[in-house]
Amino acid sequence: MIHCVYGVWDGTAIDARRDPARRQTSLLSGFDEVAPDTAAMAFIADRGFLILDESTSLAFAFSDYLARAADESCGRCTPCRVGTQRLRDLLKKVVDGVAAPGALDEARALAWQITQTALCGMGQSCARALYEALVHFPEEFGAMTPAQAVFQHSFIYVTAPCIEACPSKIDVPKYIDGVKNGKFDFALGVVLDNYPMAGSCGRVCVRFCEAACRRNAAEGPVGIRMLKRYAADEAFPRQRLKFAPSAERHDKRVAVIGAGPAGITCAYKLLRGGIQVDVFDAQWASGGMAALGIPSYRLPKDVLKAESEDVIRQLGGHFLYGKALGRDFSVDDLLGKGYDAVFLAYGASKASQLGVRNEELVPQGYASGIDFLFKVYRHVEGGEPFTLAGDVVVVGGGNVAMDCVRSARRMGAKSVHLVYRRTIEDMPADREEVLAAQREGVVFHCLSNPSELVVKGNRVAGVRLVAMRQTEVDARGRHGVEPIPDSETFMACDWVIAAIGQVVANDVLRPEEGIELDRWNWVMADPDTLETSRPGVFAGGDCVLGPQSSMTLVNALDHGERAAASIRDYLLNGHTHVTAERHMQKFLANNHLLDDKRLERMPLEKPRAHVPELPVDERVRNFAEVDGVIAKETAYEEASRCLRCYRMYSLVTVKSLQGGYTQGTRRDAPSARAMNTFGAPRVASTPMR
Amino acid sequence: MFARINDQDLEFEANETILDVTRRNGIHVPTLCELADIDHAPGTCRACIVEVRRPGHAEPEYMTACDTPLGEGWQVMTRSPKAQEMRRLQLEMTMADHHQDCSTCPRNGNCELLSVANAVGLKQIRFHYQEGWKDLPPDTGAQPVVYDRSRCIRCQRCVAVCRKVQSVDALEMTGWGRTAGVRLKGGNVDASPCVACGQCVMVCPTGALAERDQTQNVLDCLADPGIITVFQMAPAIRVGFGEEFGLPPGTNVEGQIVAALRTLGADVILDTNFGADVVIMEEGTELLGKLSEKKRPVFTSCCPAWINFAEKHYPGILPYLSSTRSPQAVVGKIAKTYLAEKRGFDPARMRVISIMPCTAKKEEAARPALGENGRPDVDIVLTIREFARLLRREGIDLKSLEPSAYDDPLMSEYSGAGAIFGTTGGVMEAAVRTMFYVINGKELEHIEVSQLRGFENVRSAHVNLGGELGEIKVAMCHGLKGTRALVEAVLSGEADFDFIEIMACPGGCVDGGGTLRSKKAYIPYALKRRETIFNIDRKAKIRQSHNNAQVKKLYADFLGAPHSEKAHHLLHTHYSPRPRGAETSVQAERRKPRAQDGK
Repeated sequence: MIHCVYGVWDGTAIDARRDPARRQTSLLSGFDEVAPDTAAMAFIADRGFLILDESTSLAFAFSDYLARAADESCGRCTPCRVGTQRLRDLLKKVVDGVAAPGALDEARALAWQITQTALCGMGQSCARALYEALVHFPEEFGAMTPAQAVFQHSFIYVTAPCIEACPSKIDVPKYIDGVKNGKFDFALGVVLDNYPMAGSCGRVCVRFCEAACRRNAAEGPVGIRMLKRYAADEAFPRQRLKFAPSAERHDKRVAVIGAGPAGITCAYKLLRGGIQVDVFDAQWASGGMAALGIPSYRLPKDVLKAESEDVIRQLGGHFLYGKALGRDFSVDDLLGKGYDAVFLAYGASKASQLGVRNEELVPQGYASGIDFLFKVYRHVEGGEPFTLAGDVVVVGGGNVAMDCVRSARRMGAKSVHLVYRRTIEDMPADREEVLAAQREGVVFHCLSNPSELVVKGNRVAGVRLVAMRQTEVDARGRHGVEPIPDSETFMACDWVIAAIGQVVANDVLRPEEGIELDRWNWVMADPDTLETSRPGVFAGGDCVLGPQSSMTLVNALDHGERAAASIRDYLLNGHTHVTAERHMQKFLANNHLLDDKRLERMPLEKPRAHVPELPVDERVRNFAEVDGVIAKETAYEEASRCLRCYRMYSLVTVKSLQGGYTQGTRRDAPSARAMNTFGAPRVASTPMR
Repeated sequence: MFARINDQDLEFEANETILDVTRRNGIHVPTLCELADIDHAPGTCRACIVEVRRPGHAEPEYMTACDTPLGEGWQVMTRSPKAQEMRRLQLEMTMADHHQDCSTCPRNGNCELLSVANAVGLKQIRFHYQEGWKDLPPDTGAQPVVYDRSRCIRCQRCVAVCRKVQSVDALEMTGWGRTAGVRLKGGNVDASPCVACGQCVMVCPTGALAERDQTQNVLDCLADPGIITVFQMAPAIRVGFGEEFGLPPGTNVEGQIVAALRTLGADVILDTNFGADVVIMEEGTELLGKLSEKKRPVFTSCCPAWINFAEKHYPGILPYLSSTRSPQAVVGKIAKTYLAEKRGFDPARMRVISIMPCTAKKEEAARPALGENGRPDVDIVLTIREFARLLRREGIDLKSLEPSAYDDPLMSEYSGAGAIFGTTGGVMEAAVRTMFYVINGKELEHIEVSQLRGFENVRSAHVNLGGELGEIKVAMCHGLKGTRALVEAVLSGEADFDFIEIMACPGGCVDGGGTLRSKKAYIPYALKRRETIFNIDRKAKIRQSHNNAQVKKLYADFLGAPHSEKAHHLLHTHYSPRPRGAETSVQAERRKPRAQDGK
């Protein structure tokens, strides 16, 4: 158990040095998990600091912290740009034992000034703990001993609420900075550091970031997704999204099973690191569910192709289309044929059954949501014949159900009905999708559930519905529902589409291949490293995510990215490891350190921009993209709403944590890496010409 | 809503900043980065600190007035000792990484940063940070506007004016931490959308942005006995220079400038207004020709930033630009041909030096097409700021000089029409006066064409030229934001005009990017200068370009007739598209239908 010896948290000083009984343990937990191989000595955050080991040099810990702050400062506002440099230098002198008298007083005044007057969250938070330390424990700011110099290391993690909310941990404020500063390629480069599908994510992401945006406490969250799309769309028509094969080369080959978002992202990251990749897919195009399952009116397929198939080919990857794992080859075949590792990302494209009478007859006019969307996709994109007429009933309340009703509307249905057993408020679908479906004339029947397909001569003739009522609230905060006895009604219709979820196919992996599945056939993968039970085989995306009911694009992108890092580790170092950053992310989440949504000071009100969209009467007639891109002036305005809620979390340990901070990694070059293949490097010192 | 500021209870509306309310009530709070005239409050300098007591908060807080919305029941103290101390610390930090070698700064003498440092009572600077800029390579380029990051305070006014006022959007914020600054998109003039209009210089609070200083080159010419110095002064100079020497804004100091040039030792003193009259002869003839051929519209071509804008942003509009050279270029060319011939000068020994309200004129003078055998027609272009510097270096106090008159018999007379070239609508009006005469054989009855004289950024009017042409539709635009809209309307066929005058700078040449800088204000003297220009026209003995006796003589003795072969060779030019890498019309691309649209 780790105790706090002294410190300040949320303005309250803690001092148990002379009174061990007052040691606090309940404040934060899990330090030992962040530092599994060494001992945690201190923790510094925006809200205060905790000293866990009395031998910690407070001055050294803060000297490291402020040195990082000086490097993180974007340099726009004066107190953060200059003040952090001055604090860094003052603390360095304290550490070295050469500080002038009055240095601590000057540092305290500066820390106060930065905290009170900095423009953004970075400056407002980076000196607060130091200020508290200088107010309550100035006597602890002494010169560092030789032992402290050796046995004290800072691991500093910089993040923001929007970053931590994102599964892919994308540096949101940084790409918003890119837009704000007029550097659209730079903004896109920040995204491309994580994954290639910026334009796709900028269109269909479920936006955990916006839900976490601190501007929610004012007039509404920053339009993060629309800005990402703006940056991506700036590059798209100019064909700026061009990659060349990596200069780094390793004699390793990886088979990626599934060309969906997880597989593509894994292949992208591996290829950029110089590892060869072949991508297998049962379909004849890349994109996976993003291609087949998301209708073109939400995600145009040329955008998707440009940032999936085209990118992988440019990087030197190969596609083997029309090849299905389990049908055409096995994992053993792949490993036997010289692949050094396998990434399983074959998705979950088998539909759940409604479990109602006559479903087993599979009458004409009955389809699962996924099968229906596939048919629509092949019709719209491939010209395959498919007609839809009459009245259509879609069952479900998720995004796939919304995709089905809106697609049915566009396919020419006479009327479209959505049947859902709970209420609109309980629907898991995006609010915007629900509203769009309503605006497009879809009739909602909530608290209603099918009990029987009515079939006439092998054709759907209607559906029997039973009314539902709400019961008590469950653990997830939703009301339970139960059928109302004797409430059955008949609804005549020509189509019933069951969009109530997907499961993973059960004929992909054989038990003797040694890859552990759970009892619903989802692949069991380590949540951190995405290793399966078989060495060299990794898994991610929907085929792993399924049971967590978090099958979203950005979760798949995150899996692809992390799997690539693990595979690279495995291939080049012989083992995988969990990064200190990931440990820190879990620690921050477990302790809810970024959940604070209160704004201490209200910013000037700036209304959130609106994404232009096609008028309803125009869009329901075709599959043209509904949402447009915002104008440049709007993008500048929207980007200026970002409060840049960066915070720094430092864990001080006896031994250095792997992957710790190295000077200069986060400067203006987030995309120094991306820029090798993407646009010209931005050199800060170039004079204006 | 009410709040108490110092000892006054003041009413305000929701979402008004503390600064909005203090300003409205005449309460001073020092500001630095903010510039209300262009609606810019980036909140980067953090100098405008005030003390605030909020209901429910025990401790006083310190907030920046420019970006904090005032709250109900707040008590704001603008002069609390702590707030003043914090402002001083803020300015101390601003100065700490600022290049404090003020003696070498182009803004020496009227720097906004130093004013604010004084205003907050700064008394000490205990630390210095030069790492961000001390290794910057010297700027050895030729571009007319120079950026020095060591003097940049990151206020981003330049970015804002370029984006919001001009809609050119040539600048980006770059660098990180101590190296933060601005730069041209694409890294250089050619790759960027920059048109060299110089509005960025006009709003820069320090010497971070300035014109490329060429005063030394002029002094070198003056010192060389083998060189014949030929000066010309643009129409706008005489109305925008007096305040530098303590005269009221808008004072006409033409006579003092002529006297100053004579004191400097100028060999020949010409007036660009003469060139403007020649331009009207050429452009008016060109326009009448094009109108009879139904080639319309015709855009004016005297503004070099507009030419850059057309070449870089809308190459499709280039065929519609008048081929007539600008007044500056015309004076340069005629000086080195006609004047040289008549007065027996060797053109190789002549140096034509222009005094212009413009940064883009420096670039125009360097255009290869505007010279002969690699020798430019105009050798050196001084902005009005450099001209002021030149006089100070030579110890000339404009205010104390007796006005003097031109004495060149060939190229210094001008009409009222040439004089009004310096303000928006002036080129149009000058052209109308002459075209009316050409068509009808008599002068326009109402010389001042009032329908052309508004001050909105984009204006249109109908003018009856009589004869077969009858009524023509004209438009005038100052500022590039309006220009962009107008050009797009012309290209899409929505706008229908015969003749369009464009001046790239808001306010026209009298407020050009090469005029005197103001502190904490953007083009505050526009209307005063404009009024003086109109007065010069009103008092002119001759008010039409075609009645200028020296212009008549030029055509009779040298050029023949307007648009003669010789005139065409000497006084017309051509333009070429200048594709740039940094940006293309993404919006246009997006309007194209996608393949999968529709079933």
